[in-house]
Amino acid sequence: MRNPLTNRLLDIGLSGWMIALLVFLYIPIVTLAFFSFADSRVLTFPVQGFTLNWYRELFERPDFLPALRTSALVAVATMLVSTVLGTCGAILWMRYRFRFKQALQALTFLPVLFPQLLLGVMLLLWFSVLGTVFDFRLGIPTLIIGHVIYVTPFVMIIVAVQLYGFDDTVEDAARDAGASDWRVLVEITLPMIWPGISAAMIMAFLLSWGNFYLSYSLNGSMRTLPIFIYSGITVGSSPIYPALATLNFIPAMGLVVLADFLRRRALRRDTGAAKEES
Amino acid sequence: MSQPIIDSRSISKNYGSFRALTDISLTIRKGEFIALVGPSGCGKTSFLKILAGFEQASSGELFIEDREMSDVPAAARPTRMVFQKLALFPHKTVEENISFPLRIAKVPAAERAERVRGMMDLMHLRHEYLTHYPAQLSGGEQQRVALARALVSRPGVLLLDEPMSALDAKLKKSLQAELKKLHRELGTSFVLVTHDLEEAMMLADRICVMVGGRIVQLGVPLDIYRRPANRFVAGFIGETNFLPVSVASTADGLSVRPLRGDQTAALLGADRVSPEAHGDAGLLLIRPEDGEILSGAPSPGMWTIAGTVDEKFTKGSSTQYRIRTEALDVPFVLESSGFDTAHIPVGAPVSVGFHPAKSYLLGDRP
Amino acid sequence: MRVLDRSWQDRGVLLNSLPLLTLLTLFFIGPILLTLLLTFQEMRSYQLQWVWSLRVWSEVFSKYSYWVVIGRTVSMAFLSTFLCILIAYPAAYALATRLKNYASHIQILIIFSFLTDAVLKTFGWVLVLDRNGIGNWLLQHLGLGDEALNFLFTPRATLLGVVYNLSVYPLFTIYLSLKRIDRDLILAAYDAGASKWQTFREVTLPLSRPGLYAGAVLVFVLTLGTFLESKVLGGGKSPLAPELIRQTFETRVNWPLGAALTVVLVAIATIVLAVAVRLVQRTRQEQAAKGAEA
Repeated sequence: MRNPLTNRLLDIGLSGWMIALLVFLYIPIVTLAFFSFADSRVLTFPVQGFTLNWYRELFERPDFLPALRTSALVAVATMLVSTVLGTCGAILWMRYRFRFKQALQALTFLPVLFPQLLLGVMLLLWFSVLGTVFDFRLGIPTLIIGHVIYVTPFVMIIVAVQLYGFDDTVEDAARDAGASDWRVLVEITLPMIWPGISAAMIMAFLLSWGNFYLSYSLNGSMRTLPIFIYSGITVGSSPIYPALATLNFIPAMGLVVLADFLRRRALRRDTGAAKEES
Repeated sequence: MSQPIIDSRSISKNYGSFRALTDISLTIRKGEFIALVGPSGCGKTSFLKILAGFEQASSGELFIEDREMSDVPAAARPTRMVFQKLALFPHKTVEENISFPLRIAKVPAAERAERVRGMMDLMHLRHEYLTHYPAQLSGGEQQRVALARALVSRPGVLLLDEPMSALDAKLKKSLQAELKKLHRELGTSFVLVTHDLEEAMMLADRICVMVGGRIVQLGVPLDIYRRPANRFVAGFIGETNFLPVSVASTADGLSVRPLRGDQTAALLGADRVSPEAHGDAGLLLIRPEDGEILSGAPSPGMWTIAGTVDEKFTKGSSTQYRIRTEALDVPFVLESSGFDTAHIPVGAPVSVGFHPAKSYLLGDRP
Repeated sequence: MRVLDRSWQDRGVLLNSLPLLTLLTLFFIGPILLTLLLTFQEMRSYQLQWVWSLRVWSEVFSKYSYWVVIGRTVSMAFLSTFLCILIAYPAAYALATRLKNYASHIQILIIFSFLTDAVLKTFGWVLVLDRNGIGNWLLQHLGLGDEALNFLFTPRATLLGVVYNLSVYPLFTIYLSLKRIDRDLILAAYDAGASKWQTFREVTLPLSRPGLYAGAVLVFVLTLGTFLESKVLGGGKSPLAPELIRQTFETRVNWPLGAALTVVLVAIATIVLAVAVRLVQRTRQEQAAKGAEA
């Protein structure tokens, strides 16, 4: 405003800082993708050449497949359960005011603020003690429970943001037009908050898919993909892990882009290309 | 025309300890256009919601089309509502919005399409908008879609909750004209809630003025304007002068004279006296267009007040003067449509004349 | 959305809250209580004995080495909180005020990196920081260092990993609170003649404080639970509290001791959380009071 040069420098400096952070965030991700194509058995730099051998090796000895299956099963179940619970929680949070509301809210959010490893350890103790009483072992159900506890607050926040802008006279209008409560829910409320719910579902899936800390305590004899990779790299690094990692990125990126696409489409429809009065 | 469609019998509504409506008894006739007017918080919207079935009265009875409504949900009532913020479904196209009530009522698809198109024509909406989303339309067009959605199932009563409060002045005027025409063509009963008495006067057959959860006046627009129930109603529209007068009963009727100044006493006919006026003091209601700036001698029966022009606003078709006088504590507001007075400058001494016999006497309590 | 006042026994309230409440009671409050109870038990020949003693607690308080690890963890948490805020604030500010055309793309990129498996990202850092990795290769070829740095398997590598994995949290909390600031307030400050710096200090910074505190608490508390970074990047040479806890469970199979150490760590987290909540509340009250004066 007063000094164009300083302002320009400030703009560049701030934007540059953000870009630098972005680069920082992608250093390990790009490195992994890079090494998955590197033609060398040891993961050092510079590399000799490029190859697709590691991907072939990965598929010739697909010992990661059970882990992949477990991860997918746990992530889908977590997504479904936490979306239902989180949406209920968000409605509770945004629509009602009642005694004990703040206490309930605090309780729901505490798992996010809880160091995950410790949460995992506490659940491990709980399941171990219960397991000796009721005779069960750690496995997929305990994994799902742990993930749901951790993921639900995230779902709640995303859905609550969507609910915040929700105009409920629209529900009245549907009721006025003769719709039953069920039809109002199915035809009006759910479609309108769907962008939030779908984004929350994708987020829930990915949070569960990539979770290490809780799985580490709760997996029992089952291995999820992060646990599989962790046990692999602590023993010794091999180029098949970068290849596995890179394969892991693609669907995740697709889901994130899909979530954004859904969000934008809804936004475009709801705000529209606002028209001038003629 | 004279059969009642809505009959509200001493309806009251409490929200906890707060009394939103007290003893509302109101009969609305078939085909009538009635406006509920009042300042915000007067209970007009609560009453509309009770009519629509979104809220239940705490006591009293409500009949619509001769049926008691206390157990009838909103969906099953012969009323449809146009909401203040329109409440169009943002995720449905214009066609899906308008046909929604028909689909709920299981009207066959072919008939639905036909009736939706009929509504589009009635509302002067272009058919190409059928596939648009509400957000792609202008404010006025959205308004018409909301009206179409409410009217498509041919309700007996259309409830309108300040539907034009968000529009700009010009668009409002044209939509008001359309609404009036629509009412005449359809013969549906309209109940309009508004805080704008001017809008109510333009549109409604009868106006129900509400203050503090009670009906203070119910009447045709001209009565509300000329014979307001009290000072509050009088002041609710436009600007008004209240001249303090002393009142005396004579054999021929009430005789009044201004508290300040020496005017001859004037006799008021019985229809010029508010039922609330009693005692020996009152306020004479003089609308701005009732006064004139005298250039010659006053006509017989006229009272005159001397003053100076304090401020002057040109309105195009007329000129408004605010004149400081001895007789009143606040400036006398006068609207003159004559060209001969338009040149009077601020600060000029003037003489204001009006006919007391044409004015209206109110009680001196607000 | 309008808010309805309801009794907690209302059907809608119960329907929406009971599943969540049941789950949290069974699998969150339950485990916490059990952990507390376990600290008063003892382990004998790898079998849990319900004996009710204070032996574990006296061991925790008498062993100096535990407190060294806990102290190291807490200082790591302070350091990472400081660094994360330092990195995140300008970036969040740039995202909220400058890069508007690209903001949504940048957000996607950040979210993607955030949601990517932490194990993979940490492993990626191993490849970068290795003695023969890209980092050292770049340093040497840019003429910045002659000798290869031994960065991997040091506490600094752990810190780098923690900051990397957690700086996104304050980035988002700060961004959200910056976004909520009414643009007119900034313009009003300029209009009153304030410089950019003054406007930032007097208007933007105070109004973004809730996001700042929230982000700081998240980083602090999550650092207390850090395990992956110290194990994979730190090489386990100077272990942090979570590693100690895991070890107590896995190798020593001493549940009560592990539970007690967990309780200590959670207590520290709770104290920090309580202080932060207090700070945010005070900021809000101050701002409300100022609002009332104006």
